[in-house]
Amino acid sequence: MTLREALESGEFVVTSEVGPPKGTDISEMLSAAEMLRGRVHALNVTDNQAAVMRLCTLAACVHLKERGFDPVLQVTCRDRNRLAMQSDLLGAASFGITNVLALTGDHVAVGDHPQAKPVFDLESVQLLEAIRALRSGHDLAGNELHGTPEFFAGAVVTPDAHPLAPQLAKFEKKVAAGARYFQTQAVYDPATFRGFMEYAHGLGAKVLAGLVILRSARMARFMTKNIPGISVPQPLIDELDRAEDPVAVGVEIAARFITQTRDVCDGVHMMAVGAEHLVPRVLDAAGLEGVST
Amino acid sequence: MAAQKTGGSLDWSPMPPTVFAPCRSKCPAHVDVPGYITAIAEGRFTDALEIVLERNPLPSVCGRICLRPCEEGCRRCLLDEPVAIAMLKRAAADFGAYQHPKPRALRKESVAVVGSGPAGLTVAHDLAAQGLRVTIIEAKPKLGGMLRYGIPEYRLPGKALDRDISHILSLGVEVRTGVKVGADVTLARLGEEHDAVVVTAGLQSSRVLEIPGAHLPRVLAALPFLEAAACGERTGIGKRVVVVGGGNVAMDVARTARRLGAAQVDVVCLESAEEMPASRQEVEEARLEGVGVHCSWGPREILGEEDVSALDVVRCTSVFDEDRRFSPVFDESETRRFEADTVIFATGQGADIGDLGIETTPRGGAVIDPQTMKTSIEGVYAAGDVVTGPTKVIDAIAEGHRVAACVIRDLTGDTALLDGLDQESDTLGEVPESMRYKVVTRRRVQMERLEFYEAVGTFDEIEAGYTEYEAAREAQRCLGCTTGARLVREKCASCLTCVRVCPHNAPNVKYRGYLIFDAEACHACGACASQCPAHAINIEGHSEEEMDRRVETVLAGSAGDATMQFACGCTPLLPELGLSDPRTLTVTCLLRVSEATVLRALQHGAGRVVFTGCVEVNCRYPYARELVARREADIRALLRQMGMDDALIVPEATDEDEGVHLR
Amino acid sequence: MIVVRAKPLEEVFDMVVAHERVLLVGCNTCAAVSLAGGEMEVATLVEALRLMAARRGRAIEFTGSVLQRQCEPEFLEELGDEGYDAVLSLGCGAGVALLSDTTKVPVYPALDTMFIGAAKGFASWQAECSACGQCVLGRTAGICPITRCAKGIMNGPCGGVKDGRCELGDRDCAWVLIYERLEAQGRLGEFGRFGEAKDHSVRSKCDVWDMSDKGGEPK
Repeated sequence: MTLREALESGEFVVTSEVGPPKGTDISEMLSAAEMLRGRVHALNVTDNQAAVMRLCTLAACVHLKERGFDPVLQVTCRDRNRLAMQSDLLGAASFGITNVLALTGDHVAVGDHPQAKPVFDLESVQLLEAIRALRSGHDLAGNELHGTPEFFAGAVVTPDAHPLAPQLAKFEKKVAAGARYFQTQAVYDPATFRGFMEYAHGLGAKVLAGLVILRSARMARFMTKNIPGISVPQPLIDELDRAEDPVAVGVEIAARFITQTRDVCDGVHMMAVGAEHLVPRVLDAAGLEGVST
Repeated sequence: MAAQKTGGSLDWSPMPPTVFAPCRSKCPAHVDVPGYITAIAEGRFTDALEIVLERNPLPSVCGRICLRPCEEGCRRCLLDEPVAIAMLKRAAADFGAYQHPKPRALRKESVAVVGSGPAGLTVAHDLAAQGLRVTIIEAKPKLGGMLRYGIPEYRLPGKALDRDISHILSLGVEVRTGVKVGADVTLARLGEEHDAVVVTAGLQSSRVLEIPGAHLPRVLAALPFLEAAACGERTGIGKRVVVVGGGNVAMDVARTARRLGAAQVDVVCLESAEEMPASRQEVEEARLEGVGVHCSWGPREILGEEDVSALDVVRCTSVFDEDRRFSPVFDESETRRFEADTVIFATGQGADIGDLGIETTPRGGAVIDPQTMKTSIEGVYAAGDVVTGPTKVIDAIAEGHRVAACVIRDLTGDTALLDGLDQESDTLGEVPESMRYKVVTRRRVQMERLEFYEAVGTFDEIEAGYTEYEAAREAQRCLGCTTGARLVREKCASCLTCVRVCPHNAPNVKYRGYLIFDAEACHACGACASQCPAHAINIEGHSEEEMDRRVETVLAGSAGDATMQFACGCTPLLPELGLSDPRTLTVTCLLRVSEATVLRALQHGAGRVVFTGCVEVNCRYPYARELVARREADIRALLRQMGMDDALIVPEATDEDEGVHLR
Repeated sequence: MIVVRAKPLEEVFDMVVAHERVLLVGCNTCAAVSLAGGEMEVATLVEALRLMAARRGRAIEFTGSVLQRQCEPEFLEELGDEGYDAVLSLGCGAGVALLSDTTKVPVYPALDTMFIGAAKGFASWQAECSACGQCVLGRTAGICPITRCAKGIMNGPCGGVKDGRCELGDRDCAWVLIYERLEAQGRLGEFGRFGEAKDHSVRSKCDVWDMSDKGGEPK
């Protein structure tokens, strides 16, 4: 079952992500994907994540598709102008890759090529518009296409942003621009999340809760301090601090979240951050045996 | 463009020199007070002296005995105490070098000046400075008039007077002493020998009241008594002296009598304590020296057979009538007797020019046309006390300037001096509210003086004068009125930097970016000028060229490794740097030293530059510190790129301590 | 106003090191207001270059001068570049360019032109405008999304905003500011409006943007 089919059928969706290599050796990426075979409906491929240059998403998605996975093409606006983005989208569609996640993207300054020119010719809302345009058979300049692509477009939302109101206003714009599903930034507080989900479903959006598997109290503190939109509640940090095996506790925290919010969200998006082997453990603990692909 | 008097701010841009600080306005001679005090604040005593001499040829004298009308105008009066302007003038004279004037081309016109008191000396100075041939005719053996023969040594030592006089004479003035005009030579004769004659004979006759007993031997007149004391001659007084009179002359007489051995000295005068014409300070000092001062008494009779035995006085209930005319009223029922063996009358001086032949007033003073300063005789002028009656020394000096200017105009056609005297001027207003709390209040620096019990036994000068350091510290209390920012409008880029860095709200932006400096708020700190990118602001009396010239002078003869220290005037003690060939230049504020000046110094003899200052406890511009710190950082950043990291040194602040460092 | 900033001394010296007589030219408009190119800064740079040249044993003459504005041909008539083999401009890029048109000798920039900005206080400016030629400030309550948003996006904020601060950590998030201000003005509907992708052709249609006497639309 594809991502789209799963979401539309109301099945609880599980997605995860893999990162392409900095180089041409894709063996690690493929073995990480293998760990998730049969456990996820779709696999996101990150796009020069954190502004670190890597093998391009489109190529990685093709490699994954050839091996039977349903990839999600993450497209950031940082590195390409509107011509290049439309061009890449058409290329993806020509390989049958239709899941897209539209992102604005991290600034070049935080990555490993800080002197690069940041493009941002479009941002996530405008990118969704572009995708919608292509789907209707013309490009952004209004020219007719020879061969209309199909896309299943998604975007990102941060339920715990500070301040929240502007984020939600943009969220609404993304929905209006054609985003069919959302993957959130990592969430940890079920209560906050439930409140957000009520609001999101009111708009008719499908939302997959983003989860980053914590491996230590230090990691939790670091993320809370440095990563925008992530704040791990103190009780959880304490839990990790007290634990003899913090990784196990981290897995349990993630699983707990899933079981506590399963009834209000449409799925989860597991962000392994280099520890893909932990994803199946979380899914097991949460009682998500497997998915039919 | 005249300054617009708006009651609030005066528009200083451009600034014509017609607004005076109140001290300068109140000075009858309009000495540039802020100018010389600024120089003293930086330890430049010779510059200060030069500035004083431009308007007052008797700085040693006035620095001691002037009645200082300037200090009443000092804008610090509302904050704490007026700046010790007169005492600073003395410091300039004590420590500055009287410059030898350049030899002047002599004109053919010659002038005789009759009398060498303050007026006469001023006339001689002004005329000689213009190149006229001047001859002073003085009746007494030495020059100085009342300054030498009237004012006692303990207030004005002869040596101090001599310094001023020798400077005047060095301009090329002939002197004939021991010559009394009228008796030894006629006015007419002088008129033949010279192109003009100026009579500045002062008031030589000392009035004695004609009361019963005034013919007795030990009944003396003030002026002859003081003259004898000044010459070291026998004065004829006894042990118990009564002085009649309430003015400064009476105080001089009484205190002189004490020093000459009179065990008991009393002063009686008609006036009440508030009305006494003598200065409060003089009366106070007289009392401290043991002189009894008794107000509201009128002398009735001097008792005694062959000589004085007592003075009877009667209560005076009022001195002046409703029209302020002298009309004493007595209460005969209240009398008193002062046992005495000497009575000295200090009841007024009068002119003694009866045998000169010029028209006189009923009281004997010379009659002149105030416009031309001429007497009834063609070619003969008169000025000073001989015309006006008793005034202050500084008034006589101002009159001396005026008559000299008239003579110069009449003999040479040059009206520059007269135009300068007639120039209209506005006076700066009070310190605005907004500025008052921003000025660090400090009391006046106290001057060393003899204790009164020491003073009374000697004619030595009572006041010791400031030390150089004390003078500089006192001068740093000056607010720098009218010496602050001047805007050069054509260069202004309207960047508003001055508005932002001035802590006193002196620069204000009017419509359309037109900048105006409020002179009443300006504290002459120089922050605005130091930051102005367009060099559009000048601080009066300070310029980059002047600063560079001073640096050049300080660095002269350096082998290239000198340590050029810029020290702020407030810094009491220079740090022990242990660096080679140290040379110091004192500045009003370190902000006056631009980056370009530092870089130039490093090219012309200095191996390193030191910025000593910004010790907050003492600083009169505490907010300047931040700007100085920024400048230091900017200079360092430049030097670092040349590998000259150590070329700018900013020593740590040291504790306050006494230490003379100015020169 | 155009805000400029001094280049490092080392870099400036390297530009002129091969010359013998260099004329420094300041500018009494934006450069002076930026406290970077006025008469005072020219004097300082002249002395710094002299000192540096002396220390490196180079015989180079430096002379300082100031023009009212370097972007006006009439003011450049007073340039006085006779006898110099290089000009060092303390003006903005436009000044350097016009000077280069006017004089035969090489013109070097002593300053970097940073942005169009407004003053915040003494010695402090903030970029407010990027001269995009397509101003949308009316819709963003006066806060330019191209200039003050690090990514220059037209629908913000992005996901990097943290406690109202930009992902880069050096400024407030422009889009949060826009939101707050529109809210205060009762114009939140404006925030919900779709922000069009920027028309970059405005800036690149022709290489000399001639706004002189043609009248009507820009070419």
